[in-house]
Amino acid sequence: MIAQEAQYRDWMLAALMGDAGAYRMLLSGLTRHLRSYFARRLDVGAAEDAVQETLIAIHARRATYDPALPFTAWVYGIARYKLIDEFRRTKRRPTVPLEDAGDLFGHDDTAEAIAKRDVTKLLDKLPPAKRALVKDIKLDGVSVAEAAQRTGLSESAVKVTVHRAIKSLGEELKEEGGGDANR
Amino acid sequence: MRTDELIGRLSSGLEPVKRGQVTRMLLVAAAIGLVGSVVVMLGMMGLRHDFAAAMVSFGMWTKLVYTFAIALFGFWLVERMGRPGAEMTRPLQLLAVPLLAILLLAALQMSAPQADMPKLVLGHSSRVCAYLVTVTALPTLAAIFWTLRQLAPTRLALAGAGAGLFAGAVGAFVYSFHCTEGAAPFIAIWYTLGIAVVTALGAALGPRLLRW
Repeated sequence: MIAQEAQYRDWMLAALMGDAGAYRMLLSGLTRHLRSYFARRLDVGAAEDAVQETLIAIHARRATYDPALPFTAWVYGIARYKLIDEFRRTKRRPTVPLEDAGDLFGHDDTAEAIAKRDVTKLLDKLPPAKRALVKDIKLDGVSVAEAAQRTGLSESAVKVTVHRAIKSLGEELKEEGGGDANR
Repeated sequence: MRTDELIGRLSSGLEPVKRGQVTRMLLVAAAIGLVGSVVVMLGMMGLRHDFAAAMVSFGMWTKLVYTFAIALFGFWLVERMGRPGAEMTRPLQLLAVPLLAILLLAALQMSAPQADMPKLVLGHSSRVCAYLVTVTALPTLAAIFWTLRQLAPTRLALAGAGAGLFAGAVGAFVYSFHCTEGAAPFIAIWYTLGIAVVTALGAALGPRLLRW
């Protein structure tokens, strides 16, 4: 049994009776699993589209949920169908392994969101010029040559700046970690 | 649109869903399909000439009960196919009941001492039977496909096959009112073949026509 089954099923049953509040919580909850599910299988842009398409399908076809059956299996069936549909459209992979709903509900996007938030917070500690360089090169995949051109620095100066910035962030992290441990 | 905006939009003005809506939609489709199949049978083939007498014959009831039973379990199968994550083992298992029954009855009739084999097996319409069953089934197949698209079939070939099985059984049921055969071996072979052809047709068309 999937951990979220009881809660989601309750929300779904209320939503089928017309409870908009329960429905909103249900869709928000499902979105977190769907985002992680599609992000692990599709490109960034396609993943969010697939999340939205799945939400719309869940909404338009909610009458096909049979309360005698597990709700998580129903959602998983729709998500998997949408994934196959996306592969078919982009002519990529013809088959999707038949996993079970645990694969959808075993993950959500919390860890990714926290990681992203932490990195952003850490970068904020750098002076603006350095921050922009590190973000461009380390996060956004801008080439060193391009960054050099953009900033008017030499390539080696860019490399050195980024290297030093990362090093100082590393020291910052170590200090923070030590501080936590002593607390 | 951002995803949280979408959620807001979907949940505002949420309409309650009536219980049994899926079954109701499929029943309406089955009724429309049945009317279409009857029109095809009457228009292209015509009612059998000895209709009144046939309604009390054993052969007529063999056909009606056999095809009706398959249509019943076929309907159940289609209802399951339209729901993601639903099991369909029960209706599939139950399908064995009419199949075994007709085989048993056929064996019984063929083992009778004065059994006329060619008449029992081939009758006089074995060449057209499966074909006419298929033609009669087409309106029902179309109606069920139309409705199944509005549900959520996730295995399209399988869902198409289920729709074909139901439509084939309805087609055979309706065709019974034209056909004058009544021997169980004939029904077991040619009616079943007609239903199988429509099932295969549904399976072939499903992946193309049932997408949503």
